[in-house]
Amino acid sequence: MRILHNTTIDFLKYRKVAYGISIALIVVGLVSLLFKGLNYGIDFRGGSEVVVRFEKDIDVSRVRSVLKEAGVSGTLKQYGMDRSFLLSTVFSGETNELKTLIDNAVRDRMPDNAHEIVRIESVGPTIASDLKWAAFKALLAALAAILLYVGIRFEFKFATAGVIAIFHDVLIVLGLFSILGGIFSFMPLEMDQSIIAAFLTVAGYSITDTVVVYDRIRERIRGRKPSEYEAIINQSLNQTLSRTIITSGTTLLTVLVLFIFAGPAIRGFAFAVFAGILIGTYSSVFVAAPLVYDWLRVTKSTVKLRGGSAS
Amino acid sequence: MKNKPFNLFLIVLVSIVSIWSLWPSWRDYSLSKQLDSYASAEDSLKFTLSHRDEIENARKKSLKLGLDLKGGMHLVMEVDQVDLFEQKAWNKDAKFNEIMERVRRSSLTSNASVIDLTVSEFRKENIRLSRYFYDIRNSDREITDKLRKEAEDALARAREIIRNRIDQYGVAEPVITTQGNRRLIIELAGIADENRVRNLLKGTAKLEFKLLRESDVLLRVLDKLNSSLVAQRALSFGVPDTSGAVPQAVSQNRSGGPLYDVLTVMDNGSVYVHEDSRDFVTKLFRRSDIKALVPQDSELLLAARPDQLQDGQNYYPVFLLRKTAELTGGVITEAKATFSAEGAQPEVLMEMNSEGTAKWARITGANIGKRIAIVLDGAVYSAPVVQSKIPNGNSVINGIESVEEAKDLEIVLKAGALPAPVRIIEERTVGPSLGADYIRAGMISLISGFLAVSMFMLVYYRVAGVAANAAVVLNILIVLSVLAGFSASLSLPGIAGIVLTIGMAVDANVLIYERIREELSEGKSIVSAVTAGYDKAFSSILDSHVTTLASAYLLYTFGIGPVQGFAVTLMIGTAASLFTAIVVTKEIFAFMLSKNMLSAKSFG
Repeated sequence: MRILHNTTIDFLKYRKVAYGISIALIVVGLVSLLFKGLNYGIDFRGGSEVVVRFEKDIDVSRVRSVLKEAGVSGTLKQYGMDRSFLLSTVFSGETNELKTLIDNAVRDRMPDNAHEIVRIESVGPTIASDLKWAAFKALLAALAAILLYVGIRFEFKFATAGVIAIFHDVLIVLGLFSILGGIFSFMPLEMDQSIIAAFLTVAGYSITDTVVVYDRIRERIRGRKPSEYEAIINQSLNQTLSRTIITSGTTLLTVLVLFIFAGPAIRGFAFAVFAGILIGTYSSVFVAAPLVYDWLRVTKSTVKLRGGSAS
Repeated sequence: MKNKPFNLFLIVLVSIVSIWSLWPSWRDYSLSKQLDSYASAEDSLKFTLSHRDEIENARKKSLKLGLDLKGGMHLVMEVDQVDLFEQKAWNKDAKFNEIMERVRRSSLTSNASVIDLTVSEFRKENIRLSRYFYDIRNSDREITDKLRKEAEDALARAREIIRNRIDQYGVAEPVITTQGNRRLIIELAGIADENRVRNLLKGTAKLEFKLLRESDVLLRVLDKLNSSLVAQRALSFGVPDTSGAVPQAVSQNRSGGPLYDVLTVMDNGSVYVHEDSRDFVTKLFRRSDIKALVPQDSELLLAARPDQLQDGQNYYPVFLLRKTAELTGGVITEAKATFSAEGAQPEVLMEMNSEGTAKWARITGANIGKRIAIVLDGAVYSAPVVQSKIPNGNSVINGIESVEEAKDLEIVLKAGALPAPVRIIEERTVGPSLGADYIRAGMISLISGFLAVSMFMLVYYRVAGVAANAAVVLNILIVLSVLAGFSASLSLPGIAGIVLTIGMAVDANVLIYERIREELSEGKSIVSAVTAGYDKAFSSILDSHVTTLASAYLLYTFGIGPVQGFAVTLMIGTAASLFTAIVVTKEIFAFMLSKNMLSAKSFG
């Protein structure tokens, strides 16, 4: 079986359109980030979250009113599991008191529906700011490491274009999180540590696709004249198109499985990786390689690539 | 293209090591399955006894599940360094308290170390640290070094003490590590009573014996507080109205005013607060303007337990104590939870060392007829009247609600007091039932992920897909065996990492196979196409693996807890896929080529 075999798409011709789409997506995301902001999870915001699971079906508003009567502050939402609710409230190191309060409230007012507190998470403000800072450093370090590595393996222009493509992917996913955050009850799309993990995974993955294209360009461009670059880059993109799609496809398949089966704790992560890989695949074809081409064209420089295939 | 003996050897070795490393996990699983299958308890006991060594051995070496999968608590606790430094200071005055209060407030939100915050606050006020700390001749630098040392010691001691408490309580394989210079990370699995564990961990266990002041002094102090609050209320309505809850049956000679609305004064001069107003009064007594009205050498405290008064409601006694403790818990050598002689009242008996015994004899001898309060972590447990001199260093804590609490007191008293209060600043607790759900969700994801990808590879690449799938199976085995071998635990994010690795591991094979297809379509022979495919795809594969490894490593370094589990499996999986996707599949093809089992059609 073969898909996208022997294509002859003029990718570089559409690059201006692609740049436009990319910029539009980023701008929309940034606007939403600016006005709506992000839905921070307790990792970064600090606070306490309690997941309560009931034996029998019960309406969220009923639980809400019961907890309110008992003087439990905070917001209650449906949690992405059967008969489960998530209460988020301000940080308290005294989880005992919180737990006892909820237990008593529910037991007294709904004696016929047994419940269990299945999860408690509490993150203090100092930890939250530590985590935020650590997340920022990890992302920055990852981008720097990738820039350095690709710079050494190819050349600086290629590396920079690759890192810009990663930026592009992460920014768009971030924008998606801002736009869609809080809309779906089965997936609140909160920014927490697992989303940072997703971003780093996407960064690593996005450059994978990009490197495959670069590798092909490097193989073919050596000793050619700048006037031939456009054709070479286009051919390289076409020749690697099927493997770019398939490698992304297999990974998307597993991420989709995670999204569906791995439960609410993983769902936000799976969504971020899924979106990130989709956009990363697009960007390695329509952003990274075209940027390299434009850069070479504007600076009128020839490619001095290091390394090369082992053949 | 021929099989390389070294590569074959490597593949066999890796497979054997993986299986050997995972064997105990399999035994553990099948043994517990067998145990479950017995209908009667007798049979299962017999089986356990006859297979005890095998069961224990398998359990010890089997793959550990993370706290989220088997249920457990992950706690981060922080030593209150502000409190520690306050303890180390002398000559404390209002200025000092004011500065330290600012340090406390900024330490709640800032990442800077408490020492740096303290130094900068003192510098802002242009006050040398030596005015309050250590020797007047010390420079600021010498003092910060000493304080830093104190902080390190305090953390080490806190860790020791908390470990003792956990060991005494009895938790299987607790993990206690320190992070930075003021944090402890505590991981506990299989906790039946979380509330009890939290209480056990966070109590400072600071035991003090303090003299009670006469009741007329207490009443005078309360009068003063009340009139000050009345004056404040006249100025603003800052004090909430908490009237009510004053029983009619109790006689009162004081009433009216914010304080006497919530306090009940008995004829004999003892003072009580209703349980509903306890929080309000506790907070009130902690206010600095209220503290300033209490005599310098005294403090107001509430009892740990309420008494039931005539009206059948619960009231907490209020005490005025000498601030300086006559004796502290440091002299306690032995503690034992028992029942009181009269009956079912739980209590804790304590013995002191020789120094404590001598002091205790002197103190009790000098205060016959007076009351000495036994104070633990700022709450008065009991305040008995001294009947006679106690020469043998014995003392007893009563006023304890339950046997469990007596047992916990025994544990914390034996383990000793923490050098400074320790607070929970992060907690992640997963109940066992949710853990079971996570395991099920993880297994379903793992199996469906593998099935989806392997089906695709078979359909798209046919024979070559089989080789890729074999490589993925080996890859999963390697990840699990490395986790088991290094006693790392598998968490839900870890399983997600493995599922993701499945998708990424076949990518390397996809790159190779696509290359081979290209070479074939250029008319090359199957042998040279396969060889060229592996050679030419190698550089892309290496680059992509290195970048993924780098991101996973950075995630591991900067992340905590759950995310680290993901990063670890991703790292192992990516590294393993370099081996499985390149070496293993290549040897499979070399073998098939030598048997003439491969043709151009084998790659789909």
